[in-house]
Amino acid sequence: MRKRLALLMALAMMVGAMGACGGSGDSQTDKTTGTNAETKTEAGNKGSSGDKQEITFWHYMSEDKEGKFVNQAVEEFNNSQDEIYVTAQYLPREELMKQYTIGVVSGELPDCGMVDNPDHNSYASMGVFEDITDLYDAWDEASFLEGSINSCYYEGKLYGIPWGNNCLGLFYNKTMLDEAGIEVPTTWSELEAACEVLTTDSTKGLAISAIGNEEGTFQYMPWLLSSGGSVMDLTSDGSKESMTYLSGLIEKGYISKESVNWTQADAEKQFASGLAAMMINGPWQFSGLAEDAPDLEYGVAKVPKADDGTYASVLGGENIAICAGANIEASWKFLTWMTSEEKSQEICKSIGRFSPRADVDSQEMFSDDPLNSVFAEIMPDAQSRGPSPDWPEISAAIYTAQQEVFTGQKDVDTAMANAQAKIDEINAE
Amino acid sequence: MQSNKRARKELLIGYCFIIPAVVYMLLFIGYPIIYNWIISFQDVTAKTLGSSVRDIIGFNNYRAIFTNVTFRRALLNTFIYTVGCLVIQFSLGFLFAMFFTKKFKLSKPIRGFIIISWMLPVTVTALIFRFMFAEGNGIVNAILLNLGLISEPVGWLLQGGTAMLVLIIANSWVGIPFNMLLLTTGLNHIPEDIYEAASIDGATGIQKFFKITIPLLKPTIMSVLVLGFVLTFKVFDLVYVMTGGGPVDATEVLSTYSYKLSFQLFRFGEGAAVANVLFVCLFLVALVYLKTISKDEVI
Repeated sequence: MRKRLALLMALAMMVGAMGACGGSGDSQTDKTTGTNAETKTEAGNKGSSGDKQEITFWHYMSEDKEGKFVNQAVEEFNNSQDEIYVTAQYLPREELMKQYTIGVVSGELPDCGMVDNPDHNSYASMGVFEDITDLYDAWDEASFLEGSINSCYYEGKLYGIPWGNNCLGLFYNKTMLDEAGIEVPTTWSELEAACEVLTTDSTKGLAISAIGNEEGTFQYMPWLLSSGGSVMDLTSDGSKESMTYLSGLIEKGYISKESVNWTQADAEKQFASGLAAMMINGPWQFSGLAEDAPDLEYGVAKVPKADDGTYASVLGGENIAICAGANIEASWKFLTWMTSEEKSQEICKSIGRFSPRADVDSQEMFSDDPLNSVFAEIMPDAQSRGPSPDWPEISAAIYTAQQEVFTGQKDVDTAMANAQAKIDEINAE
Repeated sequence: MQSNKRARKELLIGYCFIIPAVVYMLLFIGYPIIYNWIISFQDVTAKTLGSSVRDIIGFNNYRAIFTNVTFRRALLNTFIYTVGCLVIQFSLGFLFAMFFTKKFKLSKPIRGFIIISWMLPVTVTALIFRFMFAEGNGIVNAILLNLGLISEPVGWLLQGGTAMLVLIIANSWVGIPFNMLLLTTGLNHIPEDIYEAASIDGATGIQKFFKITIPLLKPTIMSVLVLGFVLTFKVFDLVYVMTGGGPVDATEVLSTYSYKLSFQLFRFGEGAAVANVLFVCLFLVALVYLKTISKDEVI
């Protein structure tokens, strides 16, 4: 760790010194030929005018998947006007998050960047992002879904704009369900019955991600909410019921015990390779599934609801924000271009997200699309995590409880009571 | 007078040569270490990270981590892991070293092949072992099942005890060649004629090993053990990729826990405190190492 930290610091400094990460310092001040030459080579051409403002944009959409479309959008923006040149920089999610925190201390932040919405409050409280309340209030196209825009507010001030939404649903392998003669499950009992039939020596009934990080909490939320549980009351009957149900599926072998080490991408691989008949996942997996298993026939449905409960899903997605000390004006232009009514629809569609704009009717947009239409229907009721600057710690309490139960280290009552105690402690601070 | 001037000039030139290195060390090694000590005594959380004024809270961060169950677990795990790895990789590495100093056909190429595992990026090793020890379709379970050694698949990475065992095995796989390499070099430096003389005096193989090999190899052995300890104790990538410290906190080590506290839970002060505990442990071992090295030079 010590060495790593040293290394990171060293890297951060070196990167800064070489100006390789471009923008933040340079963009406002310099119009030197040096940087322009660099721009030209990077852009590979474009008879660029002498005085473009350069800004950098950090994102975590992997370059072989959704990232392609992000790059396309950035290129389109660069070509659409000749004042601003945006350089998109991909960093894996964890790395990006780490760089934000390091950037607060070292001052090496990009001009603008992406942030996972449950984390937005924490980073806002750290001072990673600029307060853009006034700009937003003066923006005539400011119209976003409440849950999404709320995740950008911290202590009454706005620190970003929602960029793309997603939620969770049930993916099922049509061939396997047809062969077994099973209807798509809609309730927990039906799901369990379906799993019983679908689970064989080589195939598990359902794949989920119960990994010890935010993804694990994200995946647990639909179950928790459906049986009437709540993040604020993990010891309630409803909360415990959901945990008992899921651990039951694992004990019976319907869900692999390895799910505690699986990310959502791992769950997708299981489903794509036929090792799981169903999975819980989101619309961003469509492009991956098309590549991993082009012949797979699958459908999407709502996450099954508790027998006496309601359908529930969880709101996921990204916000984009302007970093502290950045070129605010240029970044704001870029951000509002990306989240404008027209572009928001386009970009979100291509990357398997749903537009967070209130004036985009996703249900109508996807009415002909059997897969996306299901998610479009789930979206409006999907519940957000937080917003709270303490969300990472709350989330840690939840995924830890989940891991303790799924690996058989603690029973449901003890694990949930412990988690609740941790959350109470966080709230009391 | 003349020579004095020249000596001074030489000294000056000498300093010029080391200045870049010293500046580099101070900036890139000294600064982060000192900075880390400072923030471990401050109240640094998400809210105070960006501000220049932070409350100094003395040893509160240290108090907090030492009363934390996960930290104590991580500390214990780090020692279990280090000792486990050292025992396996040193003993097997020694055996291999002895074996490959025997001059037989192919001894050099085979030794070369074994070193490959040491040259692989740790992340790759971690992923390979993760796949091999997977419960459902891992090769280890498949082999053990077919041999009838186990009746149902074992969730190697899903239970604390076995997960730690797999980590130790994976790290030993990397560590054995490293130990072998250093010990082989040491063994090659023991002159053949000592053994010959001993043979003439009627010494047995075991006697030669304990009376000649071990004593003459002692400096090398000390260095190998200390280096191995340092390299193993600060493990990060292997654990992070293979188990992420899980299941729950069963394989959490100091480095991964410090990372988690800092970059996932945003308790930077406590994260720094954990890193400093790691630092102190390594520093003590490094002192031992320096001592053995200076002894070497006397010999």
